[in-house]
Amino acid sequence: MSDVALAPGSTNVTWNPPARGIVGMVCLIIAEAAIFVIFIVAYIYYIGKSLSGPTPKDVLSLPIFTSICLLSSSLTVHAAVSALRRSQQHLCSLWLATTVLLGGIFLAGTAHEWYDLIYNHGLTIRTNLFGTTFYSLVGLHATHVIVGLILLSLALWFSLRGQMQHHHSEKLEVLSLYWHFVDAVWVVVFLVVYVLGR
Amino acid sequence: MATHIPLDEMHAPQQMGEETHRKLWLEVLHDWVTTVDHKKIGLMYIGYALFFLVVAGFEALLMRIQLAVPNNSFVSPEVFNGLFTMHGTTMVFFVGMPILFGFGNYLIPLMIGARDMAFPRLNAFSFWISAFGGFLLYYSYIGGSGLYGAGSAPDVGWFAYAPLTARVFSPGHSTDYWTLSLLLTGIGTIGTALNIVATIISMRCPGMTMSRLPLLPWLYLVTSGLTFVAVGPLTAAQIMLMLDRYLGSHFFDTQAGGSAVLWMHFFWIFGHPEVYILVLPAFAFANEIIPVFSRKAIFGYPAMVAASVGIGFVSLSVWAHHMFTVGLGPAENTFFVLATMAISVPTGIKIFNWLATLWGGKIQFTVAMMFAIGFLFQFLIAGLTGIMLSVAPFDWQLGNSYFVVAHFHYVLVGAILFMLFSAFYYWYPKITGHMLSEKLGKWHFWLFVIGFHLTFDFMHVPGLLGMPRRIYTYEADRGWMIWNMIISSGAVVQAVATLLFVYNMVISYFKGPLAGPDPWDAWTLEWATSSPPPSYNFAETPEVSSRRPLWDLKHPDDPDSDYESGPGHRRQAKEKSA
Amino acid sequence: MNSEEVEFQVSHPNQEHGLQLPSPTAWPVVLALGVALLLTGMVTSVMVSILGLVLAFLASVGWFRQVLPDEAHQPVEVQAEPVQVSTTRRLATRLPEGSTSRKIIPVETFRITTGIRGGIAGGAAMAVPAAIYSWVKYHSIWYAMNLLAAGGFISWIGASDAFLSEFHLRGLLAALVIHGLTSVLVGLLYGAMLPMFPRYPIVTAGFMAPLLLTGILHSAIAVVSPILNDRIDWFWFIASQIAFGLVCGFVVNLQAKVRTPQFQALPFSVRAGIHGDIHDRLHDESTDSDGEDTSR
Repeated sequence: MSDVALAPGSTNVTWNPPARGIVGMVCLIIAEAAIFVIFIVAYIYYIGKSLSGPTPKDVLSLPIFTSICLLSSSLTVHAAVSALRRSQQHLCSLWLATTVLLGGIFLAGTAHEWYDLIYNHGLTIRTNLFGTTFYSLVGLHATHVIVGLILLSLALWFSLRGQMQHHHSEKLEVLSLYWHFVDAVWVVVFLVVYVLGR
Repeated sequence: MATHIPLDEMHAPQQMGEETHRKLWLEVLHDWVTTVDHKKIGLMYIGYALFFLVVAGFEALLMRIQLAVPNNSFVSPEVFNGLFTMHGTTMVFFVGMPILFGFGNYLIPLMIGARDMAFPRLNAFSFWISAFGGFLLYYSYIGGSGLYGAGSAPDVGWFAYAPLTARVFSPGHSTDYWTLSLLLTGIGTIGTALNIVATIISMRCPGMTMSRLPLLPWLYLVTSGLTFVAVGPLTAAQIMLMLDRYLGSHFFDTQAGGSAVLWMHFFWIFGHPEVYILVLPAFAFANEIIPVFSRKAIFGYPAMVAASVGIGFVSLSVWAHHMFTVGLGPAENTFFVLATMAISVPTGIKIFNWLATLWGGKIQFTVAMMFAIGFLFQFLIAGLTGIMLSVAPFDWQLGNSYFVVAHFHYVLVGAILFMLFSAFYYWYPKITGHMLSEKLGKWHFWLFVIGFHLTFDFMHVPGLLGMPRRIYTYEADRGWMIWNMIISSGAVVQAVATLLFVYNMVISYFKGPLAGPDPWDAWTLEWATSSPPPSYNFAETPEVSSRRPLWDLKHPDDPDSDYESGPGHRRQAKEKSA
Repeated sequence: MNSEEVEFQVSHPNQEHGLQLPSPTAWPVVLALGVALLLTGMVTSVMVSILGLVLAFLASVGWFRQVLPDEAHQPVEVQAEPVQVSTTRRLATRLPEGSTSRKIIPVETFRITTGIRGGIAGGAAMAVPAAIYSWVKYHSIWYAMNLLAAGGFISWIGASDAFLSEFHLRGLLAALVIHGLTSVLVGLLYGAMLPMFPRYPIVTAGFMAPLLLTGILHSAIAVVSPILNDRIDWFWFIASQIAFGLVCGFVVNLQAKVRTPQFQALPFSVRAGIHGDIHDRLHDESTDSDGEDTSR
């Protein structure tokens, strides 16, 4: 069986295929991006087609502060990964905690916005096409934020317990890739919902 | 965890102690349920797909019995609606996808010299969630809350066009069963596709550069890439449909300004790439089987790769040719007509390359090769009717007629199923260690060819005569009678042939001659290990220096690496010739 | 990007520790069942969903604990059963020394881009008979162009001959796009087939290109506007296709042949032109003995 290894002309070139975690996450991101594309297309397609109010102009306000929080959390998670790469585990925990906090602020902002829309403006998913597409698109994104926050909190937990070692930096990088994706999607959602759609 | 580890520890000494001890069936079951071995998961995929193949084939038979004679009342219209919905959904999602992923699971790590998939546990999870999706779909027959507590199967057709699926038109839960089961399999499908891509990219054995990757993994790479961008939209559309049905949103609710056509777009953005997701693995089998039985290397390897990638890309821009009859407008029609025709260019390149591979080869007409050649002919014909249907005015005339049904069954059965049978005959010895009976196989082939052509050649005719798809019966004076009779009798012949195949598989497992590691004198790595392969595939990670590593081993004086372009190799070849 | 130890732990867990395979685990199936039950609850009862949620949660925890911080592996014994892979049942008989044992086809061929170039040149040439036809029949060189462009504009289908004889910028652009695209596609297909017919490109192109063109362009026109299809003059249409083919072949013939990698494998004397037995080899099918595999 080992004969197979001895193919003629084999060279001793270092064999370093890409890490499977990263490849897998990139694939997942492509698939998730396809899902988001469909929801975004539906949102754009239905802009201005609601038969009744309220319209985006009436009720939506720009969530600038929470957006800044979410986008800056991309930087902090990146900092966490590079800290772990340099084996600075405490710094890594600190950055992870910041990331979770920033993500939490964003989520709280979305929750507040939804509460306001539902109870003060009477906009639900049944109200009109705007409600349908808005809640599904923003809700889908928020679901991804929640999943990301759970995973980041787990990482933080491991990190605080000192179980996160240098050789885990690749796993953390895979997680950070996902978080970057969630942030990038928010840029698109923000542009479509709050800029284009308003 | 707590329950798991003791079980494991209990087994370990037992297995070590008595090697020959026959395991209890419960232990065997436990082994299979908890396995993360890609070969066992691949086999479970194949077994589960074969089970559903029989189920959905049985549904097809029921429909053909109903349609064999006019004014038949063998089944009621409601049952008939359920039958064609379940037949289509099952065949696409619970036969086609799992069986192809099953072969991929089994073969890809072996062909690239890896010990397992990149994510073995995810692999198990993906399989089980797809499987539960299938069972949930069929549970609708019992739990679908039909009239008087009886179950009811989904009956909205496999593409479930929009107004039909609204709560108003589809009360109860039958449509929800369809949606939920597709969501479940969608998760599994994306998981497996992700696994396949990561495996091919990250787990290749040393020396196997992308330009030395066998064509089967290459095509699975394209198929899996397509899966992400196709199944994603399906999942999104299913989520929207669920929101509509459960929370009262208005995505596809025309009364509130929603659009029914949007569902069609979303579904076919999935639906057409899906055809290529199914057919590319069939091409992949052909790429492995045709060269081996022609005793030649594949002709035009780079062109084959380029054409596959090209098909992958173009297939994303052809979906609306399923929607010509909707009335998209001239600009859209033109675009989708041209895109659809353009896809025949890379497909044509592939067919020419297979023919060139056959050309001048020493062709061995084993059963696997016979099915492969049948595939070539039938795929060509299916492609030709495809070009006919891509012509929008022709499609306006024949859209949703039996002509369309005949066309896509020609692709799904004539091309994909034929290539699948070929793959069974080719890899069965590797999987079980026993050869399939060639004699029974030839009976299977000829019976199936006859049945196939009886059914699907003649199915074009009632389509041309105006018979729409999905009707449950028709009047005697339409002139469709004789054709439907022929079609139905062909279906019976195919069923007999398939039974013969199943019989062959069972009898050969116990009585077939031993295969040995390499019965076909083939060239890819899976034949370099014993049949069936051990759980670790290769005791030592192989190392390759050409596209046909086993050729190099068998002919050390004339290795492939001398002939394949690449930086180091030309020098070698020169030294050799000088 | 990653340190070495990460590399082997993650992508090749088995290399350093002998045979370590991922240990079997029940968590994937439990998680799958949990998620499935969670969704099944939507069509049955809430209790099923709750059960599913509990199962899914338990399975996630179990799975995590198995994978983190390090993945669970179990050792597997290698059966000492030698597999004779390096032998083949049929030994290939070798040809005499001095000749490669492989049939080498084709030694020289054209690049695939050559076909595209030929397609573009042919496409340009095709415009000439089309313009002549328009001039002869309708006294305007724009007629054929507008006819083609009408594929893009539904309103032009019923247009009068006079309208189609005028110059329209939109028409020019649309016709350029449609015609350019088809020419490139035909060229591409032809280019891909070139290795199969490496010689006499003018003849092959003169025959093959019109065939391919009829397949693609003509069916496309019929599609896009069947009414316009009636207006097409078949004689001229075929004449212009032959012009396409001949020019395409001529252009292909001008291009230099490239030597396929196989050429490099030929003995030096052949490559240097001393023996010059390339053609003998190409056609000498009978030199293959029965047991031998034919290659390329």
